[in-house]
Amino acid sequence: MALMNREEWYDLTKLTNWTSTYVGEEDIFPEEMSGCRGIPMEAWEVYDEPYKVSYDEYVCTQREKDAGAYSVKAALERDAFVDRADPGWVSTMQQHYGAIAVNEYAASIAEARMARFAKAPGNRNMAIFGMLDEVRHGQIQLYFPHSNTKRSRQWDWAHKAMHTNEWASIAARHTFDDIMMARDSLAVSIMLTFAFETGFTNMQFLGLAADAAENGDHTFASLISSIQTDESRHAQQGGPNLEIMIANGHKEEAQKLIDVAIWRSWKLFSVLTGPAMDYYTPLAHRKQSFKEFMQEWIVAQFERQLLDLGLDLPWYWDTFINDISITHHGMHMGVWYWRPTVWWNPAAGVSPDERDWLEEKYPGWNQRWGRCWDVITDNINAGRMELTFPETLPTVCNMCQLPIVGIPGDDWDVKDYQYEYEGRLYHFGSEVDLWCFKTDPQRYQHHMSIVDRFLAGEIQPMDLHGALTYMGLQPGEMGDDAHNYAWAAKFQSEVA
Amino acid sequence: MALFPLHSNFQGDFVINVVAVDDGDTMDQVAEKCAYHSVGRRVQAQPGKVMRVRRHQDQSLFPRAMKVLESKLRPTETIDIVFLDE
Repeated sequence: MALMNREEWYDLTKLTNWTSTYVGEEDIFPEEMSGCRGIPMEAWEVYDEPYKVSYDEYVCTQREKDAGAYSVKAALERDAFVDRADPGWVSTMQQHYGAIAVNEYAASIAEARMARFAKAPGNRNMAIFGMLDEVRHGQIQLYFPHSNTKRSRQWDWAHKAMHTNEWASIAARHTFDDIMMARDSLAVSIMLTFAFETGFTNMQFLGLAADAAENGDHTFASLISSIQTDESRHAQQGGPNLEIMIANGHKEEAQKLIDVAIWRSWKLFSVLTGPAMDYYTPLAHRKQSFKEFMQEWIVAQFERQLLDLGLDLPWYWDTFINDISITHHGMHMGVWYWRPTVWWNPAAGVSPDERDWLEEKYPGWNQRWGRCWDVITDNINAGRMELTFPETLPTVCNMCQLPIVGIPGDDWDVKDYQYEYEGRLYHFGSEVDLWCFKTDPQRYQHHMSIVDRFLAGEIQPMDLHGALTYMGLQPGEMGDDAHNYAWAAKFQSEVA
Repeated sequence: MALFPLHSNFQGDFVINVVAVDDGDTMDQVAEKCAYHSVGRRVQAQPGKVMRVRRHQDQSLFPRAMKVLESKLRPTETIDIVFLDE
């Protein structure tokens, strides 16, 4: 029997809604899980997913993708690329796997929520594939780094990181809990797929695949490309929901969800992607600065998509545009200075040539962040290594859970947005982080940042050793300078 | 005399730090304890200048001999430490 073409049956079969008689609509789609905000059932049936795929097509395509990525890995296994890769690139991979792999598994739960509780039938269909995508992404991004665990225990953090109280893990969990694990189905489609995936990760993965190829890491490039093609499909679930929300008088609510999610995603990018692009990537392999990448791929794309949908740019857009030249420099310095508290070896990226590049890309860098690096460099070259390690914790933001950083040096401008709520004093790294808190204080108020936990006596002994134990970092896992401080020695040879 | 946690926003530094002081410390002692985590680590020392303490984003300085308990600072509040001429 000849099979019908997909387009002949898809639109008919996707409408799997029916009028329930044994139980009420609210029992099938509880508001706290569906989050449909009073928009009636029939309104969701106009949901038109832009990317249509049948299960048969999906399985065939995914099989090919897996076969491709795994065969490249197998073929290049003997090549031992990792052993000759620049340590900065190795750090980028270790950081990526630890921050992403297990969160991909978590994302499958968020997709499953849409697959079950979305009132739009097309959303439910797409989310089933999205759920399977995320399971695959979790598995493949655990399998690939696992073969490197023989090289260093830091690779094991691909699986371990998200199961610890390491500070960057807390920050990532707080963000992902907020935008995908602890939101209703509709909010997940907007905050996770529209804001985070369409806006950030899709572009991040494209950029990362190009960087991997540029660095000669063809295994990682094929892995990332394989994932990115899934992302670009399932990231499209939010758009049609936004159209339905706007058409049914819920633009303001949609805008708020987007504004919170974009900011939260940005802060995570500022500590993960920013340092990797502007400091860890070897100078010869840098195609554009993080700022240029953000402007070309993230900012421009968001502006177009939001306006096309009839939405507004987030109220903080000017702040965001300004921040893409600033925040990640502080995040990088923080990660490097507190390097024993991360599971990768941060590359300082501030040799004389690299500082010239930073000054060119970020005019004024030398009189700002450069002033602090001057002191650090002098300490290394004078053998005062103890001064290059921390003896306290940085103050962290009660929203993004990242250090509160700003502009150092001659233009010193570091600000803590303090806010008292129900007798507790909170600290925020920006006006926007504080705004996120104020959108729903009860949602966030009881979370304890790592500093709150420290001050509450949960971390013992109350010193760096106690903090490292609390974070689950063992010898061989704690970060150190990726290039064994060779960059600092170049300043000595310049003087000589 | 009891431990009193504050957040130190030190002039020239890139990050705010957690610093434990004593509620009987003077503001000069507070400045010294904050400097320990910034000066010589990421901030150049400024010989001949004095380090003064103020409430975060406030222009008025605490008197140098004022004790933490007298300052009405609350635990975990953020303070600025700035270099000034003597």
